Amino acid sequence: MIIENVGLAFGEILNVTTLMLMLVGVAAGLIAGAIPGFTIAMAVVLTLPFTFSMPATQGLATMIAVLVGGLSGGLMAGILTGIPGTPSSVATTFDGFPMARGGKPGLALGLGVWSSFFGGIISAVLLVTLAPQLAKVGLEFQPWDFFMLVMFALTITASLSGKHLIKGLIAGALGLFVRTVGEDEAVGMPRFDFGSEMLLSGFDFIAVLIGLFAFSQLLNDVRDPVLARKSLSEKGTIQARIEHWAAVKEIMGRKLLLLRSSLIGTFTGILPGAGGSVANILAYDQARKASKEPERFGKGTPEGIIAPESSNNATEGGALIILMALGIPGDVTAAVMLGALLIHDIIPSPTFIAEEPVLAYSIFISFFLANFIMLGMQSGMLRVFILVTKIRMYMLASVILGFCGIGVFALNNVDTDLWTLLWFGILGFIMRHFGFPLAPMILGVVLGNYAELNLSRAMAITTDISPFFTRPWSLFFMIIAVFSAMFPWFQAVRGKSKWTLFYLPAACFALTLPLAMMAVQNDSLPRGVIAVIVAAFGAYTLWKRAKGGWKLDAYDGHDLKEG
Amino acid sequence: MARMNRDVYAAIFLLVFTGVMFWASFDIREPDYGVLPPSVWPRVILGVLGLLSFVFLVHALRQDPDAIERADGEPTTLGGWIAYWRNPIVCFILFTGYLTLIPLIGMLSAGILFVFSLLTALGGWQPRQLFLHACIAGVAVGGMWSIFTFGLNVLLPTGEWTGF
Repeated sequence: MIIENVGLAFGEILNVTTLMLMLVGVAAGLIAGAIPGFTIAMAVVLTLPFTFSMPATQGLATMIAVLVGGLSGGLMAGILTGIPGTPSSVATTFDGFPMARGGKPGLALGLGVWSSFFGGIISAVLLVTLAPQLAKVGLEFQPWDFFMLVMFALTITASLSGKHLIKGLIAGALGLFVRTVGEDEAVGMPRFDFGSEMLLSGFDFIAVLIGLFAFSQLLNDVRDPVLARKSLSEKGTIQARIEHWAAVKEIMGRKLLLLRSSLIGTFTGILPGAGGSVANILAYDQARKASKEPERFGKGTPEGIIAPESSNNATEGGALIILMALGIPGDVTAAVMLGALLIHDIIPSPTFIAEEPVLAYSIFISFFLANFIMLGMQSGMLRVFILVTKIRMYMLASVILGFCGIGVFALNNVDTDLWTLLWFGILGFIMRHFGFPLAPMILGVVLGNYAELNLSRAMAITTDISPFFTRPWSLFFMIIAVFSAMFPWFQAVRGKSKWTLFYLPAACFALTLPLAMMAVQNDSLPRGVIAVIVAAFGAYTLWKRAKGGWKLDAYDGHDLKEG
Repeated sequence: MARMNRDVYAAIFLLVFTGVMFWASFDIREPDYGVLPPSVWPRVILGVLGLLSFVFLVHALRQDPDAIERADGEPTTLGGWIAYWRNPIVCFILFTGYLTLIPLIGMLSAGILFVFSLLTALGGWQPRQLFLHACIAGVAVGGMWSIFTFGLNVLLPTGEWTGF
């Protein structure tokens, strides 16, 4: 059955049209990724209107190609010009640019390209193996659990996406509220329409996404009249040839680093709200801490390129795992992918892989294939990347704003979507200016209906709210939502306040309860073992800190910022 | 008034918005069927939003006004403010004009006009630039319009005045 489905999926992907679209997608992603100020999410958002009239498999393959290309495009600009093309490539510039300036631009590019490739492939393997397993776990979920999962996704996104948790939570709540405007999905009653036809039909969430994310970003990019007229980059090494063989040799000599960074990337991607922008910094940080020569970091060491590049490409595999297994987008780009699926009337859920096996395997195959296409195209398009960074931002912004209009109209063929684009563009711009992160709002918009539907289903089963606290998965998500909400506070005073010593043990002990409940209810030995391990780890951490006299350790932390 | 900062204004706006929307939630009709009335979920969200906005207000009032992050050169006078935000304001105005013109002159003409106007407003209007901007606008919007119209078979709006 699986072989038959894989064969059918290959048939869907391996045809001239889809392959051509993937080639164009990877090229577009690479170019978009190379442009400083043009995020990967924006590239994927803008691809969505093109995929509307395509079959679901083709559309998703194109978007995955753009995504994989975008993740890799950022490294070119970062290494050659010192300006990261995307937030996912920030850490790559720390060592990539010094190495390029030190006379080894070809090796720096090679390390970046091949690390991206290996990171992508490792996460693709994890995607194929973990997503179906996680989906099996997801089959245990009931409406209470799904509702709490959405709450957890919003809370952790808010806590990871900016300095101020409160602003992130407000943004998430605003996103949820936006989706309540118009007819409600359960009984079809109009809400907050104020007598307006436009409001009665609700806001198309793709128009909202493009407005909030792309439109507002472009306005931000042209805010400064002087910078808007300048080329995106006027410095950097122009002449370079990628040294493939030398790069592969360097990477193969550091297999553990590659694997660790790819795993960091994949698991960061699984975590809702934490994308490549977080993963590349985390992996770089870990590589530096684990290195025997940490003083070489920042001066052009190969480890400083391998770690961030393998991790940022691995994040999307992680984000796709949680999207395909549970229907929860791991980051903004996965939220757009979810939008693409919804456009084609496909609703990701734990039964998605079982019910739509051909489409699911097509996504797996596309992800693998896109990484190979990316590897082949990086070398050939080097000159294009350099040329792209010479474009003036005002030209790019004007053309893309014009495209936004056409693209958004094409979604539903209604002009009210264009006004939605404008209003949410303005809202997104103001929110950015006031320091509100947009990622929680976008997740709120995407998941708003899903949360309400599950709340409605839960209430239809019983009006008793106790299952939110007594069902193991619901309790599990509630506990990690509470601890993730406290995370920014913990991070801010870590090493300064005594209570931070108890944060990790307390989280472990709290999680032991739902894990033990799962073990008992399902008569599952592995979950019982996990519960014991988690409790033991909490106890060990507590014991270690007690043994150390409850001393506070100095913490050399890093900021986690929205990508 | 020394405590007033932009976060305080944002929090007050959010509280007013929440209040108005909560009030508007009483206009939602309650059907005789269904277990979860359609007003409950929005009210839950608005309740949480109101609470968060209140916490945000308290936090903003306790904050040192100088601690609020401001971009370099951000002005405090109205004239300076308009000059500082000139480009985004121009974008908003031109995009509004674009949307208003679409039913009259169609998406192709309105799109070209919008992109050309925006390029010129943001990039300058030297004769050479005007020519370059016209070419960029024509090729970019024309190309995109052709892809959607002929490649993806999307019926883009035609103009009442122009017919295309």
